[in-house]
Amino acid sequence: MVNIRELAVEKERLAPGHRMCPGCGLAIASRMILKATKDPVVVANATGCLEVSTTIYPFTAWRIPWIHNAFENAGATISGVESAFRALKKKGKISSDKEIKFLAFGGDGGTYDIGLQSLSGALERGHDFVYVCVDNEGYMNCLSLDSLIQTEEGLKKITDLRVGEKVYAFDQKTGNLVLKRCTGIFDNGIKEVFEVSTDHHSIKATSNHPFLVVQRNGKQTRSSLAWKKLENLKQGDEVVTLKRIAKGKSYTFKKIIASKKGDYKVNKINPVTLPKRTSPELMEFFGLFVGDGWVREEKTEVGFALPEKKEGRNRLIQTFRKAFGQDITSFDKLYVYIYSVNLSRFITSLGFGKGAKSKTLPSWVFTLPEDEKEAFVRGLMLSDGYKLGESNRYVSASPELLRTLRLLLQTMNYRVGKIHIQTKKKGTFVVYRKLLEDSSYGYIAFSRKKKPDMKRYLSQIKQRDYLADNQWFSTEKITSIKLVKKEPTLDLRVEGEHNFIADGIVVHNTGIQRSSSTPFGAWTNTSQVGSAHQGKEQFRKDLTAIIAGHHIPYVAQASIHNYVDLLKKAEKAFNVKGPAFINVICPCIPGWKISSNQTVQVAKLAVDTCFWPLFEIENDVWTLNFDPGENKKPMTEWLKLQGRFKHLFRPENQDRLEKIQKHIDERWEWLKKQCGK
Amino acid sequence: MVQKTKQARTGAECSAEAMRQINPDVVAAYPITPQTPIMHAFSQYVADGKVDTEFITVESEHSAMSACVGSSAAGARTMTATSANGLALMWEVVYIAASTRLPIVMNVVNRALSGPINIHCDHSDSMGCRDTGWIQLYSENGEEAYENTLMAVRIAEDPNVLLPVMVCQDGFITSHSVETVELIDDESARGFVGEYHPKDALLDTDKPVTYGPLDLFDYYFEHKMQQIDAMEHAKDAIRKVFDEFGQLTGKKYDFFEGYLLEDAERVIVCANSSAGTTKVVVDELRAKGEKVGLLKPRVFRPFLAEQVVEKLKHAKSVAILDRAASFGGHGGPFFNEFRSAFHEEKEKPAIINYIYGLGGRELDLAQLRAIFEELKAVASGDVGHNVRYSGVRE
Repeated sequence: MVNIRELAVEKERLAPGHRMCPGCGLAIASRMILKATKDPVVVANATGCLEVSTTIYPFTAWRIPWIHNAFENAGATISGVESAFRALKKKGKISSDKEIKFLAFGGDGGTYDIGLQSLSGALERGHDFVYVCVDNEGYMNCLSLDSLIQTEEGLKKITDLRVGEKVYAFDQKTGNLVLKRCTGIFDNGIKEVFEVSTDHHSIKATSNHPFLVVQRNGKQTRSSLAWKKLENLKQGDEVVTLKRIAKGKSYTFKKIIASKKGDYKVNKINPVTLPKRTSPELMEFFGLFVGDGWVREEKTEVGFALPEKKEGRNRLIQTFRKAFGQDITSFDKLYVYIYSVNLSRFITSLGFGKGAKSKTLPSWVFTLPEDEKEAFVRGLMLSDGYKLGESNRYVSASPELLRTLRLLLQTMNYRVGKIHIQTKKKGTFVVYRKLLEDSSYGYIAFSRKKKPDMKRYLSQIKQRDYLADNQWFSTEKITSIKLVKKEPTLDLRVEGEHNFIADGIVVHNTGIQRSSSTPFGAWTNTSQVGSAHQGKEQFRKDLTAIIAGHHIPYVAQASIHNYVDLLKKAEKAFNVKGPAFINVICPCIPGWKISSNQTVQVAKLAVDTCFWPLFEIENDVWTLNFDPGENKKPMTEWLKLQGRFKHLFRPENQDRLEKIQKHIDERWEWLKKQCGK
Repeated sequence: MVQKTKQARTGAECSAEAMRQINPDVVAAYPITPQTPIMHAFSQYVADGKVDTEFITVESEHSAMSACVGSSAAGARTMTATSANGLALMWEVVYIAASTRLPIVMNVVNRALSGPINIHCDHSDSMGCRDTGWIQLYSENGEEAYENTLMAVRIAEDPNVLLPVMVCQDGFITSHSVETVELIDDESARGFVGEYHPKDALLDTDKPVTYGPLDLFDYYFEHKMQQIDAMEHAKDAIRKVFDEFGQLTGKKYDFFEGYLLEDAERVIVCANSSAGTTKVVVDELRAKGEKVGLLKPRVFRPFLAEQVVEKLKHAKSVAILDRAASFGGHGGPFFNEFRSAFHEEKEKPAIINYIYGLGGRELDLAQLRAIFEELKAVASGDVGHNVRYSGVRE
């Protein structure tokens, strides 16, 4: 009996921390299968995504005995292990009541194609094992880090990047900032990571990572830019860094669910007009919020710690009126309060964080035009900032806020120093008030970069900054290169320019082939979409039917979305004496070109369209587990969600869509007849 | 007390006998001429219950070695046998077996690699595997094949070695020919081979292990160094096993065995059955007063270069016979390694190479007499072409 609550709290046999893509179907399938038996399990795994991303030496994600041999021989390998078990039991070297379940995992590559012979032999010989094919319909290949990359949509974590997204890069011919498509994201394994620091930037990278540096050759005219690996860099080398990002435009907010008068239990509403997009006044308001504001949604409260008679409060009242069309009515000597359900929901949705320690800058702030960014900084300075001579200082208890603010200021042509952390004792007067308890906080100092006289002193200026006359980039001397530690590393491949901007420094940039399981029409790297051919030209192999021809005790087809069905089938497979085979559909994020949150939905639609029917064959008796009946969805519902089928929706490919539907319908009718329907 | 019996057996039957006495836990094999009689005989033992072995009749040689890897990793004593194209088909897994440090013992009945397809003897198959990380033992006759197979188990399972071993014998010439052989009794053989105590077995579910992880550039090289070190340790392990087994049989075993070598001026170096043929010619010429001798490699991997120098340095000229060609190379596999062993030596014999016997072409007494004759000229400085061919129509 499948008890999902019990299974959910059991210790995982596949430990977390492996490198499968977020949302990977294989991870879901293999975890579930491993929970379907209480007996010890020994696994033989074919080469593939599952194997590669769980065992990068010296780490392993497998808490059970596990062997990887080669690509095509999971069936043969598990035969050897299972035979050894019987042999040793016979000789009394293993106790006769010891139970072990033998499980082989293979992708569609290692099962439908190169591994078919090995699987067939193992089935024919009748070994007592379960073979699970984790079918993601192609030879996929795939990966974690905290680098922030400048993309078209703003600053993003490298792990949030998708292939095809545009990132900012340095055009080496013109010296301009350009947008380039990211053509690949790949795992570099656990490596020694060094931190390269300049006065205003720092980045972590591995020793073979190329940086763009200035090669000085005496006279200014002979100097040039060249790529140098980190291991060849030294203190004093000048690296190319980002000066500022392109124009930017006002950000249009995503709609939130706003309450209105007349809604259930809503009889009074504060008429706050939520703005549709950013403006300088609104950004100044947000600056004040990030510095001194908080949200308490449960109290519908948005508050600010801005004392009366100070510039901060005045600006708050003014900007709020301008941006939201309302007056602030609730305040006392030290604090200002706005009570509004919609406002509090709105502010929470923006991504600034809620409390002092959790504040941060969401990526959309980086895409704003200069005047809005300046207004934002103004607001920040009015709250937790102060001037010290020519230098501005901003104080915050949130390290994440300081880190992102620093990056923002760099795109605005400010010079920004390091993040300094301090601890002040309770009772100390800080900014406008006494501290209620000991607190740790940080600050950064920044100042406007002065514009040098380019015409008169260009040559001299270039001695200091080789790219002084470049509006997007400048150069900075390396102040230190330190070994940080061993970390998992990731790398990007960018078309054309082969470089991208990560953490403000310009750095260089690093699967998916058809199998016989790839569906008709699908794009893969070996069934490309071009003018002469468009995607795979053969219908996929019906492996489950081939396995049925071996007349083994148990064969089944399952899907990750229907876990009750999958777990039941896995349980049956483990308990049967002799060979058992389960084919599981596992959507693949990069290979199918879907989002990481669509895995389960796409698996379900595969079943609802009858592309991947759920059925069992127990001792040659075929049973259909699920018939959508009248709710059978057309294939287009499934195809349209996946980028690998995008080209099929061009008008000239209408006939291919029809071909696909016809084929699926024929297979479905055939299967129903097999199952006696 | 060890009891030796003289029996009339083919080389293949000798290997099968050794396997019967070893009584491995698992054998996974696929048929290919001329290895087949080994497995036919062994299958009969299985059918008669004379062994407890689980015999997996796999569907290809690739699966044979794959199943052996699975079985050995599981903690079972595992054996198999193959030839030529079967060995070539399992090539990928042969490497994996060695790098996974599994003590698998395989009988390789030497046969020519296709194409054209040829089922007769030459050494192209095992020579092709000399870089795989397997220990290689060569057998002059059935009795040596029997002895090597028993010793192979102990060498492979030595805790400082843990490398697979291939025992080679000539296809048809040795495997299918009946000779008088002296075998030891079951009890002594089993006592010598002993029990297998596997390390890190997959079936030890209380101590889960991961076999075959992914290595990136940061660890692969070090893992290969461990294999290289294991081969070094194998030299000591082999020496120990030779001495121990020698006490059972009363024979002396060595990496390179000399025949009338001590004062020989002209020497032929060759392995497997050709060594036996050469001994006949050496006796013949010695009776006429010619100072000739034979050096027979028994262990090719690991290659004990020091012993090669020690045993051959006194000779004036040496002909290294290779029953395999290395196309595009300067001479055959044995030639290159033996010759290179002498590189640093100030005093060395003149060394030439003969490629012979490809595809089962016979190496007869006349050819060997001719080679010893040519070595006279070589000894006096007239080396000429140092890579020559014997027995081929020009």
